[in-house]
Amino acid sequence: MGVPDTSPFGHPPESRLKPLLQMTHKPAIDALLNATPRLWQGRQCSRGQPALPTGHVRLDARLPGKGWPLGAVTELICGQPGLGEFGLLFPALADIGEQGQWVVLVDPPWIPYPAALQAHRLQLGRLLLVRTRNEKESLWACEQALCSGRGGAVLAWPERIAFARLRRLQLAAEANAKLAFLFRPENALQESSPAALRLQLEPGGQQGTRVNVIKCRGNRPAEPVWIPQPFSAYANPTHQTPEHALACPSTSAPGPRPVHPGPGQQQDPDRPQRYH
Amino acid sequence: MPVTAALGLRDDLQVVGRDMEAEQQALQRLAAWCYQYSSQVCVPGDRPGLFLEVEASERLFGQPRQLAQRLQQELGRLGYHAMAGSAPTLEAAWLAVHEAAHLAETGAIRRQLGPLPLARLQLEPAQITAMERMGFRQLRDLLRLPRKALTRRFGPALPDYLERLLGVRPDPRKLYQPPETFSARLELPAEIHASQALLFPLRRLLEELCGVLRGGDTAAQAVCITLSHEDADDSALELGLQSPTQDSARLLTVLRERLERLRLPGPVRAIRLDAPRLLKFNAGQHTLLRDTPAERRQDIEQLAERLQARLGPGAVAGLTGVEDHRPEYSWRTRALGEPPRCTALAHRPAWLLPKPRRCAIENYEILAGPERIESGWWDGRDCRRDYFIVRDAHGSTLWAYHEYKPRRGWYLQGIFA
Repeated sequence: MGVPDTSPFGHPPESRLKPLLQMTHKPAIDALLNATPRLWQGRQCSRGQPALPTGHVRLDARLPGKGWPLGAVTELICGQPGLGEFGLLFPALADIGEQGQWVVLVDPPWIPYPAALQAHRLQLGRLLLVRTRNEKESLWACEQALCSGRGGAVLAWPERIAFARLRRLQLAAEANAKLAFLFRPENALQESSPAALRLQLEPGGQQGTRVNVIKCRGNRPAEPVWIPQPFSAYANPTHQTPEHALACPSTSAPGPRPVHPGPGQQQDPDRPQRYH
Repeated sequence: MPVTAALGLRDDLQVVGRDMEAEQQALQRLAAWCYQYSSQVCVPGDRPGLFLEVEASERLFGQPRQLAQRLQQELGRLGYHAMAGSAPTLEAAWLAVHEAAHLAETGAIRRQLGPLPLARLQLEPAQITAMERMGFRQLRDLLRLPRKALTRRFGPALPDYLERLLGVRPDPRKLYQPPETFSARLELPAEIHASQALLFPLRRLLEELCGVLRGGDTAAQAVCITLSHEDADDSALELGLQSPTQDSARLLTVLRERLERLRLPGPVRAIRLDAPRLLKFNAGQHTLLRDTPAERRQDIEQLAERLQARLGPGAVAGLTGVEDHRPEYSWRTRALGEPPRCTALAHRPAWLLPKPRRCAIENYEILAGPERIESGWWDGRDCRRDYFIVRDAHGSTLWAYHEYKPRRGWYLQGIFA
């Protein structure tokens, strides 16, 4: 920790430590350290953290394991739908399906469009939809999905989730080498979180969607990345900036969710209803 | 010993009448359960026991003594108290049970069973009394006499019995045939008020069921549990699985979820468990390597079962495409076993709104389009629409259409999330 990070690749300067390590080095210790995934090791930060490539080269470059962290919760914080937040996961979810693993969607807010998923190589045969009646059941189902079998991904859209609950999901994901993606509203930014990776998605005009790395375990939050969206290039560059968008909420468009969701939020006519 | 004498010795004695019919039913069920250890099981009918042929499965389950221990343990877990013995002939084995003896060869029968008192023999009580009056005390006293003398004194049945006992005369029996369904009833010793407390007796019944399933090489996919109440109608509980199983642990997880949410209309007096259809069990190859596609399928099926048990049968589904150009009709949910069919379409949003929503196009910027969709003249839901990819003031990309038929106007239908 105290050794300054001087290597160009972000590795701890191991060469200087080597003579010291050789005296005490025992393979058994290594084996023990590697066997416990919950133990955070300093050198995990820049190498060896298991991850699944996101399919977006520029995003991969910003993430510690060069991809979505395996066996961890990733929070995608998104103030509004329609920023390509689900599509961001498509390359990884397609890989998961091709490896014969399952993708579980717990209470998706709208109907996944099969033709679109198919066009992005997602395996419909390995997709499980779970519908619950309330948020408590939803989190329970999410945890059950994370505890079942090894590998695969679980996606959920919790409005509110307590820190302790999130930590349980994180542990369950860790124990079963799952990818857990939680889509969170913007007010989640004000809460602390045990998630391994937190990304914030913002509209980025013509360049697509701006992805801010809020937190990533084992690395410093990096510069934002722009993920191009299929039709962003056609957008009017002078149309509106995100700041402007927040300043003038429209009445007919699905607006940003309120920062403090009240009990009447489900009835909000501007927010597309859940389909069950 | 008469009941009055027993009560004289201990006044806290609880006397329960012997229910012969229930006993025979239990024996029939246990015969099905024992089928997993021997393919030749016999329910004698005239005594509270079962005969199993064990020599053929000796290599699989070890010496008779070891198998006997295992059976006693497992039956104990099902709530039965069992004694076991083995011998080369049926009648000798029956006598060996009380001694917990395991006789390996016919020669040992005379030697080891000879000192047994006559009361142990499978004979009429009147006949035993008559023999005792004549001075016979032990089995070996009878064995010493020639057949002719025995026939003259006690009729032909006795020498016949002794010859079967010694293995001189064959002793053919009707073998047990496993049933096509499973049904077991358990009268509870005390009424149960809490649904969670039902888990214990039900676990016993489920384990019994799974033993029967293993024995018959069958599997169950649905299990019906009927709870009888004192002063309310029976309540039924159905456990459904995604695929047939012999695994009691899998049924138990589903049961636990169901019991957690079960409201009892009254205290439970008796439980019946039925498996109405026993299916052929298709055991997957057990592989050394974990994480095979078959195993993942099992994992996901078990997850679906657990979720359905708590959330209801409609809670878990797959997704499939439907051949229809109108997006709202181009999808449906599917059962997990059903293969999905879907045609990929480019430039479609990841999410569909459950119902298209009216919108004012002035608030949106059109990025791409139009794409004409005209369909449905045959089913009365005819429509003609032009689809556009639009962006709203906040930068969200949405899917909107301009409808000409049946009503004019702009609608939002999807989100490019």
